Amino acid sequence: MSKTDLTSDALAGLAGTSELLERQWAPCRYNCPVHADVRAYVELIAQGRWREAIDVIRDALPFAAVCGRICHHPCESNCRRTDIDSPVAIREVKRFVAELQGARGASVRKPARQDKAKVAVIGAGPAGMSAALDLARLGYRPTVFEKFPVGGGIPATAIPKYRLPRDVIQMDVDWICAHGVELVTGVEIGKDKTVDDLLNKAGFAAVIVAAGLSRSRSLPLPGGDHPRVMGVLDFLTALAFDKPVEIGRDVVVIGGGNVAIDAARSAVRLGAARVRAVCLEDEQEMPAWQWEQDEAREEGVAFIHRRGPVEVVRRGDQVAGLKTRKVTRVFDEQRRFSPQYDDSDTGVLECDTIILAIGQMADTGFVAGSALKLDSRGRLEYNPATHQTSVPNVFACGEIVTAPGSAVEACANGQRAAKAVDAFLSGREIRIDDALPPSIGKIDPDSPCFQAVKRAQRTAVAVEPAGKRSRDFAAVDHNLTIEQALTEARRCMSCGSGAEVLVDKCAACLTCLRVCPFGVPKVIDVARIDSDLCQACGMCVADCPANAIIAKGWQPGSLIERTKKELAALKGRKVVAYVCGHYAPATAWSAQGEDAIPGVAEIYLPSMCRLSTAEMLHALEAGAQGVIVVAAEIGADRYPGATERIRKRVQQGRDLLQEIGLDAGRLVLVEEASKGREAVRAAIAAAADAIAPM
Amino acid sequence: MSEPISKLQAALAAGQFVVTGEVGPPKGTNVGPVLHEAEEYLKNSVTAVNVTDIQTAVMRAGSMAFSHMLVDRDIEPVYQMVCRDRNRLALQSDLLSAYTLGIRNVLALTGDHTTMGDHKEAKGVYDLDSVGLLQAMSILESGQDMGLDMKGNPNKLDGAPRFFKGCCVTPCTDEIEPQIIKLEKKVEAGAQFVQTQAVYDPAAFEKFMSGIAHLKVPVLVGIVMLKHAGMAKYMNNFVPGVVVPDWIIKKLSEAAKEDRQKVSIDICGQLIREMKHCCQGAHLMTLGWDMCMPSIVQAAGLA
Amino acid sequence: MIVAERKPFDEIMEMVASCKRVLVLGCGGCVTVCLTGGERQAEMLASQLRLAAGAKGLAMEVDFDSITRQCDKEFFANLKKDLASYDAVVSIACGVGVQYMGEQFASARILPGMNTQHLAANTAPGVWTEYCHGCGECVLAWTGGICPIARCSKSLVNGACGGTNHGKCEVKAEMDCGWLLIYKKLQETGRLDELRKLRPPRNWRKDRSDGVRRLVLKDMVEEETKS
Repeated sequence: MSKTDLTSDALAGLAGTSELLERQWAPCRYNCPVHADVRAYVELIAQGRWREAIDVIRDALPFAAVCGRICHHPCESNCRRTDIDSPVAIREVKRFVAELQGARGASVRKPARQDKAKVAVIGAGPAGMSAALDLARLGYRPTVFEKFPVGGGIPATAIPKYRLPRDVIQMDVDWICAHGVELVTGVEIGKDKTVDDLLNKAGFAAVIVAAGLSRSRSLPLPGGDHPRVMGVLDFLTALAFDKPVEIGRDVVVIGGGNVAIDAARSAVRLGAARVRAVCLEDEQEMPAWQWEQDEAREEGVAFIHRRGPVEVVRRGDQVAGLKTRKVTRVFDEQRRFSPQYDDSDTGVLECDTIILAIGQMADTGFVAGSALKLDSRGRLEYNPATHQTSVPNVFACGEIVTAPGSAVEACANGQRAAKAVDAFLSGREIRIDDALPPSIGKIDPDSPCFQAVKRAQRTAVAVEPAGKRSRDFAAVDHNLTIEQALTEARRCMSCGSGAEVLVDKCAACLTCLRVCPFGVPKVIDVARIDSDLCQACGMCVADCPANAIIAKGWQPGSLIERTKKELAALKGRKVVAYVCGHYAPATAWSAQGEDAIPGVAEIYLPSMCRLSTAEMLHALEAGAQGVIVVAAEIGADRYPGATERIRKRVQQGRDLLQEIGLDAGRLVLVEEASKGREAVRAAIAAAADAIAPM
Repeated sequence: MSEPISKLQAALAAGQFVVTGEVGPPKGTNVGPVLHEAEEYLKNSVTAVNVTDIQTAVMRAGSMAFSHMLVDRDIEPVYQMVCRDRNRLALQSDLLSAYTLGIRNVLALTGDHTTMGDHKEAKGVYDLDSVGLLQAMSILESGQDMGLDMKGNPNKLDGAPRFFKGCCVTPCTDEIEPQIIKLEKKVEAGAQFVQTQAVYDPAAFEKFMSGIAHLKVPVLVGIVMLKHAGMAKYMNNFVPGVVVPDWIIKKLSEAAKEDRQKVSIDICGQLIREMKHCCQGAHLMTLGWDMCMPSIVQAAGLA
Repeated sequence: MIVAERKPFDEIMEMVASCKRVLVLGCGGCVTVCLTGGERQAEMLASQLRLAAGAKGLAMEVDFDSITRQCDKEFFANLKKDLASYDAVVSIACGVGVQYMGEQFASARILPGMNTQHLAANTAPGVWTEYCHGCGECVLAWTGGICPIARCSKSLVNGACGGTNHGKCEVKAEMDCGWLLIYKKLQETGRLDELRKLRPPRNWRKDRSDGVRRLVLKDMVEEETKS
């Protein structure tokens, strides 16, 4: 018995399967900076339970809508489906549900009392707003000061609208504010008010600096002091606020990151005839996401690699070009940024406009009039462990103190700072536990399981043709349709939510090994079910004679509780239909939808593998006069052999009924789940009509 | 070798080709008709008459009582004993009883399984197997029994029986060697004669006989009288180790109903004629057609 | 392992028909492995009893529970239910469990839910075949490792009877003749001499003829239980 073995006593000590799940995370959750329960919300989306899905997302990720558009999605990059065929389009299904629900479609859970200390937050970007939200959830009264007229930070002030429409950002900001977060825009700390004002006059017990990186890094290029040589944030922010921006017809963007690409693509949209991005890195070294590069190329942006800027070539008072030199290396042996050049190889890129996108830096103006200290390089002094600055009740988070990163990383850092502030204001030592449960591993490609997983190609997102999208700042791609979202979410393999053996009950009978469609269980001393391989179909859970296998993804007994509830809501005839939900339209999952069959409670399950014979009997005990099991046709179930097995279980149930003198016809199997809602509805209705009244 | 203790033993010892018949006691107390048949048709045509012991596990009157009634009528019985229904106490006791009733020939059989008969829920005993039963007879003959006294020595009998001990073999089964091995053990355990399961294939029988030549034990080839083609087919399908060849089935099925008995007699006669040279006698199981026995003996050219 | 088969439902129902509170008690040992007496089967039988009672209009409360083994009293401490609070406890362990529970819980009424069958190997998923009779005197050394006591329907010791038929037994067409298996095995391994040896009648005292059997390990027993 190993230390990680679970016994029924140990299970009783856990609150339930959710705590059991904490023992190991799926890689999507593990790699998500805010550790959103990706599997849970993807499964809810798979079931059309939008409201619950967005609530799960927003529990961890305040900027759900923003991230649905622009997240670098480490969840997808680490999706275990990648090795099977292609990763689940997690960002797309998140975007779908976030925007479908909007700000008002997500629950706002405020504490009963919000009467703890006031906390000021500088900067309404992802970090600051996330910190403010978590403090509000803890009962504090946060106020966020934002120098721009809108909340949202960089996503609102610099990310082009074709990537992130403003109403999408507003969904997140509105939802966060609904929790009792006060947002004060147009106030710049250090100028309009000082940190000391906040602490000493305005009654804030603590301040969180989350000012971000709001200034473009500049480059002292000879000849660069010209209106047509501009910093990228100045350029993008002007566009964000619909201010007139003048560029020429021949634009060169200096930089190889995502912001450079934003600038280049924006220049295309402003009507530039030629847009080129020049960067030090070669194609492989370039930090911008591949898909961003691809889309930019499609829109006509050209990339020039391994050239470093030397000077701006002027012709009269006009910008005429950019002189560049060859880059011989970008990184040193330690992979540190340390470019070297070959000055014998120079050339001039003709252009009339240059946008400098070589990085962003902090605007530390908020320091003015406070005791906050900057270090020798002009950075805010701060302790990463406690988020405290040189002033104990002034904290810092987000990109101003971390490396530049993505929105979701900023959210995570803001949440961490909120914990620090809470500890500080509660008089506790600031100790933040960053320990995570381990992630489950990869699926061994040599395992039978790997071969048996049903292949299903990723849903392609509809993207506007390059010619059309480069004309304006309208969004370049489309949200998934409902059908697409369901189909895509159902590709999720529910990693890590599968079987867990209670070793003290296991009799090593081999049943799990025999019924598993994926050949996963091994019986050594007791059954061992490798969570790296388990596909969470539930087959063994339903067939174990010792009730010694539980599923981490669903509570034992939850199905019958739900059945009782649904039956109680029926009037007259009471029939339960357990339906394989893999093909169900979203509306079907709500048992009493508009096309409900009178007297039939339809209960959808991700797979019929989960439905045990005992549960069929329990439904009859709960007062159902009949139980209809709607399985997919042989071969159509997402799990191999599922229908063959459910046939045997239904037959067993019928035999058990017959044995006690009840009509075996009260238990009916229908194998039509994949035929579409109309056919399924008709089949259930016919089967229900055929069940004799009690 | 000591004196023969029965006519059957004497005839075999004298090298005569011996014919034995067989009767089954009735299910009930009405023993008259079977006794009548035996006296009428068997008494003068055969050397001895086997009395079956709850044959095919269908409950009926006992073999010992019926054997004794034959003794009374001067017909020599072969008392069949199966191991299915009695443990070693009862078997030994019955052997002593049988001897005191004048029974000398005993045929040791395992016995068909209880589930073959009409009391399928009965518990089968099989305390001894057929080899063990032969050993039991030999032990009784030595003046002892299978048990031990308080000191751990064999019990001594007050008067020992003597039997002419027989056993059965299935010569035409699909696996011959295990049958031969078991027959060797039966002879080792004391078997002095053999009556076989029904044989319809003279060639196969001859082969079997050459395989047991080393045992030097007289063998009476068994023949069950086939009354019609359906019965032949039934035996092929359901009686282990019995193969009725097509020519017999054809002959029976072609015979007119009124000629069937005659045809059946002819077949028996022919079979005996063909196998006579390699065995020491024939055991004819007429299954109620006892009246045919004289004709069969005639047809076999033995009269 | 011991295999046991659930009793026909009607028989169980008849036993408990007059009870108001019934507990179905599974056993986590052999009967779980043969999928007839585990916690899941206890759950299903309990469900059947409730449904049947409901259909008959009987007010019957039925719970289920299961413990690691019903043949070791140390495990009784793990019972989650109080046996004495039930009118009847239907044990779906083998006959050992039923009796042993009854002995240990004198105030409870323990009823058998199973017909205990035999000692088996799991020859195919869902199939358990008798291999050992528990005769007390193993003969496998000279029978090619195939037991004539368990696998010959007459438990013969000197070879096949006349009922052997193309490798099958006269009792059932689908049942192998144990002695033919032995013969084949000995033949294949060149050990037919083992079959040729005349075997004396068996000593059935080692089987059931000596009454209740007991295994006593001297090095483990406490003084008072030695007698």
